[in-house]
Amino acid sequence: MTKQEILNELKTVIAPYTTNKEMLNSIDDNTDLIKDLKINSANLVDIIIDAEAKYDIEIDYDSADKMVNVGTCIDVISEKIKEKNEQHG
Amino acid sequence: MNSTGNDVVSLNAIDIARTKQQRFYSKILAASESILYSQYQTDITFENFVWLLWSVKESAYKYLQRNNPVLVFSPTRCIVTQLEIPAEYQEANPSICVLEGSGFDNQPVLKSIVTVGSETLYSRSIITRDLIFSVVNNDNNFDSTGWGIKLIDNASSDSQSTEIRMFLLEKLKNELRLPELHVHKNSHGCPILLNRAREIDIPVSLAHHSNWIAYSYQLAGVVA
Repeated sequence: MTKQEILNELKTVIAPYTTNKEMLNSIDDNTDLIKDLKINSANLVDIIIDAEAKYDIEIDYDSADKMVNVGTCIDVISEKIKEKNEQHG
Repeated sequence: MNSTGNDVVSLNAIDIARTKQQRFYSKILAASESILYSQYQTDITFENFVWLLWSVKESAYKYLQRNNPVLVFSPTRCIVTQLEIPAEYQEANPSICVLEGSGFDNQPVLKSIVTVGSETLYSRSIITRDLIFSVVNNDNNFDSTGWGIKLIDNASSDSQSTEIRMFLLEKLKNELRLPELHVHKNSHGCPILLNRAREIDIPVSLAHHSNWIAYSYQLAGVVA
């Protein structure tokens, strides 16, 4: 998957949890989930779980800790998809 | 290192079924904490236990992040090692709209000890039918800790932000007799108190979830 494809899908994962829906259309790598998208920290685990389910991947603790902005979310998801594909040959 | 950290969880806004899923709670609880729950003969539900520990961990992170701006919040590395739950904790706290205090002597609070790396911190938590509220300090004495919880009508982020500042300042302006107090965020996002543009050495912490807002502040070192 390309970075752009993951970005587009990430918007649908994030959408239920942001109160700043207008900003979803203009997010970029530096968009902070809490400060910019006004996502409550209590929903960060929801986003990780939803991403895991959407891509059939497992996001470990170290990777989850990095998912604070859109860029790091895309990097983690991309890395986990790659690992899954390598495991499945 | 004078600091404070607090958090509030709206129990009407959590997904109970999801919270009970191992895939979910294992991202919040360390393995030793799941065992901790099974050790207690208590009425506290598992979902409330998960969110209680979340609120303690989030509070601990806020406490430490003030003096360590690059700290990463990692719930499973923030370990609650001891938990003290008073009997009948919930019945003692009927639904409330506003609750404020200094210290917790008159409250049926849950107490815990939480470790983050080499740091050991202490918490006090209140659970009602509607919310879980926690405050963390580096001392097991909370006599100099001010705190407040309030229900607001509008849960938009702008409303939460405005209301929590008003709620805190109303309390502090009376307590400190400084009518020109303001709340600002410093360069790494921590709330700070300013009086006529000069920073006041009283750490404050702000929290919100859904229709609940909450604050804490720590007077230790300022007022004996």
